[in-house]
Amino acid sequence: MLSVLALTSVVLLSIASQITAIVVYTSWERHALVGSDVRLSCSFFSWHWTSPDVTFSWQYRPDGAKEGISIFHYGGGAAYVDNKGPFRDRLEFVGNPSRRDGSILIKNLDFSDNGTFTCDAKNPPDIVGHSSSVRLLVFEKVPVQAGVITGAIIGVVLGLLILVVAIYYLMRFLVARRVFSLSMSKHGKKGKGKEGSQQKQALAVADPVKLKAAASEKKKQESRREKK
Amino acid sequence: MLVLLAAIFLLHIACICLLLAATIHNAWWITDTMSTDIWSRWILTAGGNWNYTEIPAFYPKEYLQAVQASSVLACIFCILGLFVFVAQLYTLPKGKRFLFTGAFQLLAWLCIMIAASIYTDIFHKDKEPGWYGASFILAWISVCLTFISCITYFVLRKKTA
Repeated sequence: MLSVLALTSVVLLSIASQITAIVVYTSWERHALVGSDVRLSCSFFSWHWTSPDVTFSWQYRPDGAKEGISIFHYGGGAAYVDNKGPFRDRLEFVGNPSRRDGSILIKNLDFSDNGTFTCDAKNPPDIVGHSSSVRLLVFEKVPVQAGVITGAIIGVVLGLLILVVAIYYLMRFLVARRVFSLSMSKHGKKGKGKEGSQQKQALAVADPVKLKAAASEKKKQESRREKK
Repeated sequence: MLVLLAAIFLLHIACICLLLAATIHNAWWITDTMSTDIWSRWILTAGGNWNYTEIPAFYPKEYLQAVQASSVLACIFCILGLFVFVAQLYTLPKGKRFLFTGAFQLLAWLCIMIAASIYTDIFHKDKEPGWYGASFILAWISVCLTFISCITYFVLRKKTA
């Protein structure tokens, strides 16, 4: 049984690695403040094991420009950062290629760093696939993101409502239980000899919750009849 | 008695419909070529197509999101109130008032009033071209209708024997 399972999984993996491509993941958009650091993450999914020849490359295309320039490359076990372009001395490799992480850290951001960063990862023999882009937006003051305040207000109000309703029903339940236990102890003290019948009486008379339910049942039936 | 019950039910459903229309339809402020707020902006292009675009950045974002949140909350409370009304029809003891339902309608009234008031006071104060659209009018009508509905539930008593 186990061997059959192992065999089928190996066959499926080998088939899958022939037809599926490498998939690269980055964020969609990153917002950052001027002067701060930002970490651009890049990861990939591939059916093959992570090969020692895995490569990561980052390209930068400023807003409005037609072409991008290459700013980072990792290959053959070594990382090569930008030493001539706009990011010299500001770029650092903080990824872990053996864990499929090719993230870079850009320090001391400026407004001229607005643009699109494209990550391309290759995992030989799995080299066919699309690259993925992340858009960097640099602000003086980070703006309120769409929907954050809306969601917060709605969540808080609904949460308060649920809390109030829960507390109300809890109080009602506790009060009913307290009344029940009080009358139980009263009846228990009075009749020690005739325990059987008196306990039955106490249960029938002093259970206000059950009483209420029975009364409302009657009323419900009456109101239904009257409404019809 | 059945007629009264049907009328109150219909009033509640009308409130829900108006609130949903005001919240969902982006037509609080319109011009000949634009229909905007509170979620996004529709712009009529030269080719005759309507394009769905983002609300411009000069809108005060916090107030816009407050209007969004309170109009959504008003819809939620009104819809919940309908279910609570049906539940109370069956479980309320005779002669008692529909207080729980009235409370939900009161909350809905408060929320939509907050939304409509904030929108009226904060947005479109400088003489932009345009006029108030259908959703704005429906929002203010919902304020009146939910108030009437709320008072009705606070006054109405379940039929006694």
